[in-house]
Parts: sequence; C-alpha cells; structure tokens
Amino acid sequence: MKPAHHLDPATVVAFAAGALSEAMAVVAATHLAGCSHCHEQVRDAERIGGVLVEQQQPDGAGAARREKLRAAMLERLDETPVEAPGLAPALPAAPDPDRLPAPLHPYFGTSFGALKWRWMAPGVHCIRSAGTGGGQLFMLRITPGRSMPLHSHGRGELTQVLRGAYDDVLGHFGPGDVADLDSEVMHQPVTAAGVPCICVAALDAPLRFPGWLARRLQPLVGL
Amino acid sequence: MKLQPTGGTPSPFEAIRIVSTSKLPANDGHDWSAEMVAVAQRRDRASFMRIYDHFMPRVCLYLKGMGSTAAIAEELAQEALLRLWQRAASYDPALSRVSTWLFRIARNLHIDRVRKETGWMLVQHALEAEEADHDGRTGSSAEAYAEHTRLKACIDRLPATQARLVRMSYFEAKSHHEIAEELGMPLGTVKSSLRRAFLKLQADVRGAA
Repeated sequence: MKPAHHLDPATVVAFAAGALSEAMAVVAATHLAGCSHCHEQVRDAERIGGVLVEQQQPDGAGAARREKLRAAMLERLDETPVEAPGLAPALPAAPDPDRLPAPLHPYFGTSFGALKWRWMAPGVHCIRSAGTGGGQLFMLRITPGRSMPLHSHGRGELTQVLRGAYDDVLGHFGPGDVADLDSEVMHQPVTAAGVPCICVAALDAPLRFPGWLARRLQPLVGL
Repeated sequence: MKLQPTGGTPSPFEAIRIVSTSKLPANDGHDWSAEMVAVAQRRDRASFMRIYDHFMPRVCLYLKGMGSTAAIAEELAQEALLRLWQRAASYDPALSRVSTWLFRIARNLHIDRVRKETGWMLVQHALEAEEADHDGRTGSSAEAYAEHTRLKACIDRLPATQARLVRMSYFEAKSHHEIAEELGMPLGTVKSSLRRAFLKLQADVRGAA
C-alpha cells in the first residue's frame, strides 16, 4: 500500500520542529507510520533542525556555571543507563487488520473493534479524543456513498484515511492517504461505495492556548 | 557496526587547539561524527567532552527558545548529552550527524517533559521501529559531512522572510497558525513560504552529489 496523497512539506517541517499541535502531530505520525516517502522527508527536516541548533552562537557568559555542569556531566559518565520501561510498543507477530496504527493507541485504544462510536448525523459517527492539549482530534466513520456538505475550515485540517475511501475535488483518498488542507480549500467529500470510510482527523489550534479555549471553539467546523 | 573513521578525524593536537579556542565560529570544519565514532568504539571521554563543550550551550539555547525555563533547559540539555554518551554504540555516522541526533533527543525530551504530550514518545518509538524495518538510506560519514556543510551554507542564503519562518518553527515551535497571526500574514502564505524554504534546503542536501 503506497499512499498517493502526502503531507505538505510545510507540515513536515512543523512536525520535525515539534511545532504541530498535539492533535495534528498524531495524525501526521499515523501517516508517517505507513509512508516511507514522508518519513524520509521528516528525516531531512530533522537534519535541518540539527544544523540550526549547531549554528547558534552561545554567549560566553556563565563560565562558572558551565564549569559546574561540566563537572557534573563527567561524574555521570559512569552511571548505568536507565532504560525507560515499557515504551517500546509490542509489535504483533502477524499484521492484524483490526489493529489501529500505533500512534493512535494512547488516544483511541488499540483496535477498530473496540471503538465506541457516537452518532452525529445520518450516516456519520464520530469519536472525539479527550487527551490532547492542543487542537481537536477525532475519528469519523461515514457510510459508503454519502455526500458530506460543502465546507471549508477556518484553520488547517489534516485527515488520514484508515479504511474505505472518499473522493473530493482534490482526488481519490484511500487507506494510507492523507489530506493536508489549509483554510482556503472548499471541499465536499463523497465516500466511495463498499466499506464505511474511517478517518482520523485533526483541526489546528494554537499550541499555546490549550484547555478551555480549545474546548469552547466549535469542533468540526462546517460539518 | 558500519563505522569508518574518515580523513576528517582531528589529530589530538588539532583537537586540543579546537577546544581551547574560546569562541568557535559556527562554520568550523570540525567533524563531530569522527569524535562520536571514537566514543562508540573506545568510550573515549576526551572526545565526548569535546562534543559536550560544543553542543551543550547550543542545546541549552535551543531548549530555552522552545519555552523551557533556564533551569529546565540546563537539566534537559545535560540529559540529552548523557544519552548521547550512553547510546553511542548505536550511533551510525552514515545515517545521521551528531547534531541531528542531538536535535531529535532534545526535541523529544522537551515535548515529553515540558509539554507533557503523552503520545509523543510513543509515536516516536513507533516511527523508530518502522524506520528500523525499512532504512533505505546508505552513505558514508564523509558524504553526510559534506551534506551538512552544504546545508549550513544554504540556510545562510535563504531570503529573510523564509529564514524567519524557519526559525520561528524550529526555535519557537510556533504552528503555522500562530506564525500567521503574529506576523499578520495569511495562513496560505506562511505555508507556501515554509514549503519553498524546505524544498530549497532539501534540494541542496540531496541534489549536489
């Protein structure tokens, strides 16, 4: 499965820089987990980050403090490394079609089968994730052959197709494809025939205003 | 391990001269991955401390820019450098520069500890597992080094606006939306400028053989 629709390079930079809101980062990572093309782009963007960090010119101040930190570091070189326990995800022996992509696990659980869908509109079910400090993160399940209302987004939107497919003015989006939209795009997705279309999507929100403001802003603008 | 020390390895004399220079120019020709190879192969403390002296204040500055207090930035920068020492055995100079490695470690520590985004580390582990499966990129330390030098020059040549957006992204972790608001630019313009900047830098890294 090779994705046909990729992340915008501007989104790649933001991901690598740690500048995406948490919700957008989760959707981007879900795409990256299945897209070696975008993954390679992120590695390039991280190289740029490395060079930028190295190019900075620290001032010479705080020599005494620096000497103290240096001595502290020398003392720690004999420490036995502490490995963070239980962080590596256990990979299933065989690909399990019911398993959600790993980046979604902390937000939606591990399997499609256990998702608790909530009715939103005829043919449309939704799950909103509570755990993100910035941006709105949600999953959508839309019955086949359904036309969504024409809409645009006040902010950026990132949508990754997990199952099924939809078509809009930008093309055909199937499993593994990501739609990286900015506020100027008006679109009217129509889900393809066959299986329901399941997507994970994020709406951008300012990183620095998590919590109450994000909750007040109407999610799913225009849907 | 695919470690091939290159001709860029400084002699002990050169190395001493380099560390004892009080003010290092940003574009000094030091090949840090050769030092890293010495750390990986011989647990060379002198090499490690040269890396430390060069990068510690830079990583610290980076973390402060990202929004850490001075104390947290120091703590996380120390932690990042310590990880470099502890994980040196898995360092492959053909795959990444020391600066790239440190950038990733520092960024991850910041998002995990300061922003407390629970999913970030899990996401990174998932991506690293993926990466181990299909790492197509090969190359030598010397190639990676030349690439690094070209990239530095290319960053310096970016038009002012693009350079500013790149810096706001990397050093202040500002989203496109926040940049647009702060600079009074349309969101689409922010994205297209960043896109152009990235493609330019990337072409320079990849194109010139």
